Amino acid sequence: MGVVGMLIRIALSPQFFGPIVFPGLLTVLVVLLSIIWVERKIAARVQMRVGPLYVLKPLGGAIQMLADGLRFFFQEFIIPESTDKLVFVAAPIVAMAFAILPFAFIPVAPKFIPYSVPYSMPVFLGLNTVIPLTILAMAWGSNNKFSIQGGIREAYMTMAYEAVLFIAAYAMALLYGTLDFAEMVDAQGIPGIILNPFSAAAFFVAMIMSAGKLPFDIVEGEQEIVAGPFTEYSGIAFGLTMGIGYVQLYGFTLAFTLMYLSGWNPVPAQLYSIYPALGGIMLFVKAYLLLMFIVFLRSVYGRYRLDQALRIGWRKLFPLSIIAVFFSILLRVIGIV
Amino acid sequence: MSSSVVTRRLLAKEGDESVYEVFIGPQHPASGHMRFIVRLQGDVIVSVDPDIGWVHRTMEKLAETKESIKAIPLLERMTIIDSQNVTIGYVRALEKLLGVEPPPRAKYLRTLLSEINRIASHLYGMGLAGIFVNHSTMFMWCFGDREVWIQLAEDLTGARLTHSYSVPGGVRRDLPQGFKEKALKAIRYMEKRLEDYYRIFFNNPQVRARYEGVGVLKKSDAKRLGIVGPNLRASGVKYDARLLGDYGVYDELDFEVPTMEEGDAMARLLLRGEEIKQSMNIIRQVLDKIPDGPIMAEKYMRLVPPKLREQALKEGRIKFPGIFANLKLPKGEAVARAEMGHGEIFYHVISDGTKKPYRVRVVTPAFRNVILFRFLPPGHRFMDFPPIYGSLDYFPPEADR
Repeated sequence: MGVVGMLIRIALSPQFFGPIVFPGLLTVLVVLLSIIWVERKIAARVQMRVGPLYVLKPLGGAIQMLADGLRFFFQEFIIPESTDKLVFVAAPIVAMAFAILPFAFIPVAPKFIPYSVPYSMPVFLGLNTVIPLTILAMAWGSNNKFSIQGGIREAYMTMAYEAVLFIAAYAMALLYGTLDFAEMVDAQGIPGIILNPFSAAAFFVAMIMSAGKLPFDIVEGEQEIVAGPFTEYSGIAFGLTMGIGYVQLYGFTLAFTLMYLSGWNPVPAQLYSIYPALGGIMLFVKAYLLLMFIVFLRSVYGRYRLDQALRIGWRKLFPLSIIAVFFSILLRVIGIV
Repeated sequence: MSSSVVTRRLLAKEGDESVYEVFIGPQHPASGHMRFIVRLQGDVIVSVDPDIGWVHRTMEKLAETKESIKAIPLLERMTIIDSQNVTIGYVRALEKLLGVEPPPRAKYLRTLLSEINRIASHLYGMGLAGIFVNHSTMFMWCFGDREVWIQLAEDLTGARLTHSYSVPGGVRRDLPQGFKEKALKAIRYMEKRLEDYYRIFFNNPQVRARYEGVGVLKKSDAKRLGIVGPNLRASGVKYDARLLGDYGVYDELDFEVPTMEEGDAMARLLLRGEEIKQSMNIIRQVLDKIPDGPIMAEKYMRLVPPKLREQALKEGRIKFPGIFANLKLPKGEAVARAEMGHGEIFYHVISDGTKKPYRVRVVTPAFRNVILFRFLPPGHRFMDFPPIYGSLDYFPPEADR
């Protein structure tokens, strides 16, 4: 035993395994590389094209994103003279860190929780609210007109979705009587999406807005502001900025699965007995399917206008999330849950 | 510029320090070969200056330096996506100068290629209108389906884009075998695809939200500014150079010129869809009615050596002897109009009696429509600018010549 055994024990402990292996860093990398390929393949299928093909041809170009990522690494990272250099370099790194950090609070399987806090849901959402600030920092540090436009759009979009996201999530907390993801899963005899569909709908749209995916990719609005706050970035920093949205979206789909799709249930008992984290396989599968559905929307929709997105946020989603709160209270009062 | 009070107040702020100036282009994902100087106050557009001329290739001057017939391949590079319609006006002007009339079969063939080109051009415009709101499916579908019509044109002329099909006195090639079946198949396919377009794009709530009520061009303003083409017809003015009966066989065919009353970006898009339907209707009629006969005026066929002439009649394709390029243009002037996918193109050819034209003046539809960039966007949100651009189907190389 000795040192090796200790290292293995540390590696397999929930505190390490959760944030670093599953669902954290390594899984995030795999999801990032695969979901962009899946997105491009789905879009290609709809649009009568082939999509990525030549990198690893037998698997239909499955490692195209790996090749692109490597290229980002070897590309020069240009720091323009006119930028605020510290902010310019640090902002994407901080953003990525805050996109990965919430995974430490996502329970993987029954009794396999990296950091067991009774408030994991608000902590998860709260950590995600830091990302818009880093994007604002990128926009300001870039010292570019398009970047500033993009930063302002990010600020406006935060207005549109943040309140909705929190209120919809708190509606579920009211319903289950807990703020902890793990206890929420245990409380779901019937999946949350059936118990409170209003909350699920509001949370779903708000999380697409938050991750900036179509039809709400307003911040990056290529046709008006090139790449929004990311216009001045090149090389691996550009790769990071492109990845933030996907990582955030993956985190949100996990949270959505935990709150509305009964999380890791049903747990495959055999896998769970080998190693508890393997019991979280259903959580991953559900989240990944949801992720695939969200990237499929790119083939159907274009982009909404900024004021239209704000209108959707405040006139449709906000009342919907309030309705969800009252619906939860109603369900509690008549005692369904 | 515009009559509305809001626009006038916005324009008054043009030089203001509170106005935020953004340069869109020439190196921008959605500018095309040009630059827009967009001035913003908050998110509202104060004014837009279209800065054109980045792809000016001295077409008019170059046309003066060549024998008249050699300017045809040159001029079709103005609008390479619509090369039959862009040169037919020049060919008609030359024919008027030379005093020659093409035989009926050649006229039908010209009409056929004109309409194939028009469909391809409209699909190009609709595809770009899709990507301007980041609707990549519409973009890919339109560009993919455009391929059908390009291949049809290739069957007919031998070239995908630069057809150089019409020459003074007729056309270069006869209808190939089995063309009618292929064309009818393409029409059936396109009719099915248009329904798909309506489902995923035109009736998509997101697209409606972005295009409806944006960039409204009133009927009176459209007339006053001299707008041409689908942008004019979407404002309710029924004007189309095909109705003048100067070229092709449009007076013998039964077709409609669709118009719309709304005048907004959505109407301009929908109108292009309607025009594709009418063009397919025209192609059907042309294929049914096309008469037998020569494809080149008798006057010029006599220039071809007898052996080659027999071969040309048999194969249906004409290889001109060098003498054809040395035709002397009689002294005089001629004008001609033709309807392109983007609108009406106007040619004025002046000859001093030599082989080369003394002056070739071209007024292209894109150049006449460029004023709309100054006129339509003020008062709209910055994010409305790409949909307005997309709905105008503006083609910078054509405006710059």
